[in-house]
Amino acid sequence: MEQAKLEQKEFEPVILAFCCNWCSYAGADLAGTSRFEYPTNVRIIRVMCSGRIDPTFILSAFRWGADGVLITGCHPGDCHYVQGNYMMERRFAFLKEAMNQLGIEPERLRLEWISAGEGEKFAALIRDTTQRIKQMGPNPLKTA
Amino acid sequence: MTEQEPKIGVFLCHCGVNIGGVVNIPEVVKYAQTLPNVAYAEANIYTCSEAGLASIRENIKKQGLNRVVVASCTPRTHEPLFRSACREAGLNHYLFEMANIREHCSWVHKQQPQRATEKAKDLVRMAAARATWLEPQEEPSLEIKDTSLVVGGGITGMTAALSLANQGFKVYLVEKEPELGGNLLHLHKLYPTMQDTKEILEPTIRSINASDKIETLLSTTVADVKGYVGSFKVTLARAEEKREIEVGTILVACGAANYTPPKGLYQYEIYPNIMTQMQLDELLKTGKVTKPPERVVMIQCVGARKGEIRAMDLAGFPKSDTARLLAKILKAKKEEGWPYCSKVCCMNAIKNAMLVKEKFPKADVMILYGDVRIYKEYEDFYSRARESQVKFVKHIEEVPPEIAQAPDGRLLVTAYDALSGQEIKLPCDWVILSTPMIPRKEEVILARMLKVPISSDGFLMEAHVKLRPVDTQIDGVFVAGAASGPKDVPESVVSAMAAAARAGTLMANKQMTTEALTSVVDEEQCIGCGLCEEICVYGAHYVEEGTSHTIAALCRGCGACAAECPRRAITMQHYSDDQILAQVKAALMEES
Amino acid sequence: MVNKSVMVVGGGIAGIQASLDLANRGYKVYLVERSPSIGGRMAQLDKTFPTMDCSMCILAPKMIECSHHHNVQLLSYSEVKAVKGTTGDFVVTVLRKPRYVDITKCTGCNICAEHCPVEVPNEFDEQLGTRKAVYMPFPQAVPRAMTVDKNNCIECGLCIKMCQAGAVDLKQQPQEEDYNVGAIIVATGFDIFDASQIPTYGYGRYKNVVTSLELERLLCASGPTGGHLIRPSDGKIPRTIAFIQCVGSRDRRFGATYCSSICCKYSVKDAVLIKEHEPNTTVSIFYIDMRAFGRGFQEFVNRAKSEYGVRFVRSSPGEILEDPASKNLRIWYEDTVAGRIENAELDLVVLCPALIPSKGSGDLAKVLGAEVDQYGFFKAADLITSPVDTTVQGIFVCGYALGPKTGDIPDSIMQGSATAARVAEVLEGSA
Repeated sequence: MEQAKLEQKEFEPVILAFCCNWCSYAGADLAGTSRFEYPTNVRIIRVMCSGRIDPTFILSAFRWGADGVLITGCHPGDCHYVQGNYMMERRFAFLKEAMNQLGIEPERLRLEWISAGEGEKFAALIRDTTQRIKQMGPNPLKTA
Repeated sequence: MTEQEPKIGVFLCHCGVNIGGVVNIPEVVKYAQTLPNVAYAEANIYTCSEAGLASIRENIKKQGLNRVVVASCTPRTHEPLFRSACREAGLNHYLFEMANIREHCSWVHKQQPQRATEKAKDLVRMAAARATWLEPQEEPSLEIKDTSLVVGGGITGMTAALSLANQGFKVYLVEKEPELGGNLLHLHKLYPTMQDTKEILEPTIRSINASDKIETLLSTTVADVKGYVGSFKVTLARAEEKREIEVGTILVACGAANYTPPKGLYQYEIYPNIMTQMQLDELLKTGKVTKPPERVVMIQCVGARKGEIRAMDLAGFPKSDTARLLAKILKAKKEEGWPYCSKVCCMNAIKNAMLVKEKFPKADVMILYGDVRIYKEYEDFYSRARESQVKFVKHIEEVPPEIAQAPDGRLLVTAYDALSGQEIKLPCDWVILSTPMIPRKEEVILARMLKVPISSDGFLMEAHVKLRPVDTQIDGVFVAGAASGPKDVPESVVSAMAAAARAGTLMANKQMTTEALTSVVDEEQCIGCGLCEEICVYGAHYVEEGTSHTIAALCRGCGACAAECPRRAITMQHYSDDQILAQVKAALMEES
Repeated sequence: MVNKSVMVVGGGIAGIQASLDLANRGYKVYLVERSPSIGGRMAQLDKTFPTMDCSMCILAPKMIECSHHHNVQLLSYSEVKAVKGTTGDFVVTVLRKPRYVDITKCTGCNICAEHCPVEVPNEFDEQLGTRKAVYMPFPQAVPRAMTVDKNNCIECGLCIKMCQAGAVDLKQQPQEEDYNVGAIIVATGFDIFDASQIPTYGYGRYKNVVTSLELERLLCASGPTGGHLIRPSDGKIPRTIAFIQCVGSRDRRFGATYCSSICCKYSVKDAVLIKEHEPNTTVSIFYIDMRAFGRGFQEFVNRAKSEYGVRFVRSSPGEILEDPASKNLRIWYEDTVAGRIENAELDLVVLCPALIPSKGSGDLAKVLGAEVDQYGFFKAADLITSPVDTTVQGIFVCGYALGPKTGDIPDSIMQGSATAARVAEVLEGSA
């Protein structure tokens, strides 16, 4: 019955995006000021630095049913706090492996660098990510 | 969590029709009222208006609210405003949270108002969840040294240095060349007064040298910058020598360069007598002209206003030439260049055209343009130029003029006159290319050191394009002059004074309060492994007696230590695990 | 003993910026504004180019900061009448015009206006909308208080009856007050050229020929039509709109031979805004030179052309005629690029008029003893080395009061900050 319901409505993924205050959150703001349209599936959580993002946040997100998680931060070399983004990058590799172990496709987690001036890029990223996650279908942990 | 039960007040902003025109605000208000811990919810037309702020203050008192959520625009503009409203009502301003339902919702989902409304509800729910876990904080204060570093000794840097010195501050003026003056050293005369650049430079340099508050360091560059507002530790380099200085504020005034066309563009460096406007300036300045030109053709927007060559509206052209024009357009390659308009080149070209006419009265001077972009009272200058027989020809920009060399050694410019649609052939002696002001490589390197973002066109990015044109995102770092975009001399001077005012205000107050976003170590959990000390770039952690400690004044709140700590012993104030996880959970599920 | 106080004359964005920069470093600032609220022209705009920020949204926080700042004293609905003295010791006589409302009691609740029986054209909406004889010029006004327009008030007393705070006082008298300040900053902004001086354009006769400022009010959500673009004659949505540039500017007939600097830019912005509201409306901009200079503007024009389909016609139209039945307009023009004479029928024509010195600024200049240039704008002591000093020591000028310059908001803000630097230099330092 649940399965049928899921098939009837088009699947609209819920995607969490962590954005750093200095670069990617500002880039998202610029996408807004420029009025670039993108799908409504994303929910942005603001952090000061992508380096703040504890692996627990991401794994909890998937455990609680997120279909996709997007991590955005400053371009390498431009981190407001010097190297927070590098630390996130290192965690990213480990997280992909952890997701495999948990039975979630690692492609559901994505890491991209967006600067404060890249409003168009942010909008394009959301469109692309939403499209990809749609094609992957719902989070397997939801239906397990 | 504090001892009190959280009582959240939610204020939803229509923002006129910016939000209300897409998101169904009344529906979201009703929804907000159902959320756990929300004691009060209302809508405002403009929450940032006096009425909105008054309502926040009143309701904090009336409803006994101990948390406030405003769902409106980006916190990056209005958070300080709403925070002060909370403070005025006696609420610690760290008990305040915002939901961005404009830049991240109504403005990007105009075509999906129903979905946007559902998203707004989610964002409000997330903000309320985070607000539940917020705690009051005290802000540390930073000392601001009354010394400033001005990087760049052109007219901008010098003006800023003099203003700061006149305001009573000590200034280090750093210039990478062996002399002060910047671009003005290479220019001949300035419009519209036609003053010699020497008339401006010499008195300014004299004042700089006479000031006991300004220390000028020539042939010096910035090698490294550490620290933060109030106490930047800057390493300067001159040849092999290094010197460390400590300053309270930094002004970036390193100017812009002039785009030199690549070899071959309009036959630049292939045929003789093809030069940039700046090279023409040098030629007019040094006066060494062997053969006076009979005709000079200037081409505007060389390497500027480029991007995709737009398909032309051919319907506008006389039928006779359309076929030939079409063929040319299809052949025209995309030029290498910069997308923006460099603002000053039209006026600069007219000035140089007048100077050429003055020096060689018999010369025929023609300017090929797309739009004549002069502005302000310079319009009269343009009229004078036309009266002096400088010829202005609007050409079809999409078909770049072709330059050929005639057998007698003269040049031949072929272009299309936009008003008649006809091809024009101009035999001439000099071709002058008006090229844009472009960002300097050194400026990009400096920006990276200072963590100042660069815009997509390569210039330093201001904190806010409209409202904070000389501030940068980094507290204590300001930008003036052409470093933030093409400007003429009067504009550069004004921006230098503006930056000096902003830096001056900071330094005059001698201290500034900073955000309370610091790390706190739970000594019971901490095992003294030292990882936080190792990774902290600000040196804000030190391990002593088996436990880590934070130096609050140095901590910038990035949170890397908290994420890396193997024992989860570090909490980030105002960005704690509990607060962030509450947001994550609220995004994904509704609590009953 | 340094007199660390300043009078700023004019509460638009330039005056506000100068006030805040000085107040933040401990100066006492008297911000004088002759209308009931600060905010100036920026408060009348819908959006600002090229980022399309909502103008009031970015202005309001600054206005509120001024009203709350412990170092800023707002002297609203007031004018400068006389000035004596020199740098460090000016005595300025300020006329406090009577509002007939006690602003310490008024809460801005609006009940008086709701009951007032007199309705008159609203200046803030460029006469397109109406207000009552007791009114607040716009919802985000600072100070947030009502004003009674005694000229139109019939003294029925309803407002006094309805006011819960007892704030209405029809017996208020004008007061003259003296202020002793160290420096003065002029920030009186601009007015727009009266387009009815060009009879061939029909402004003032044809209802559907409007100025760009009137258009801003029509587009603005807080304006007379709630942000719905409708044309004045019949309230229909215009399907064909034309902008005409340089109305009165670059024109030897009227003395405003300068370029007003911002009109090309704002017309592109307005064209894009219109297309966003009404994608099926055709918008054409008639220009002589498309002066969209500086970072981001060429890209903005390109986007207007390719994404929004705004038409750019290089032409200065000759005459506008009105169809008396439909009130549509017909313009005759020479498309200089195509080389043809054309005519077009339009639902709405927007004139972009020259920006001229603010009314009364000439008198203020006389009071201050400051020179003005041939156009009536305050003259800078030196265009390059002292761009924000007037010809009187200790008196500075910023914003459009200085004349066109780059003319846009960041420019006004930079000039405002620059005057703050000059004041600090002159009063505290060695300059």
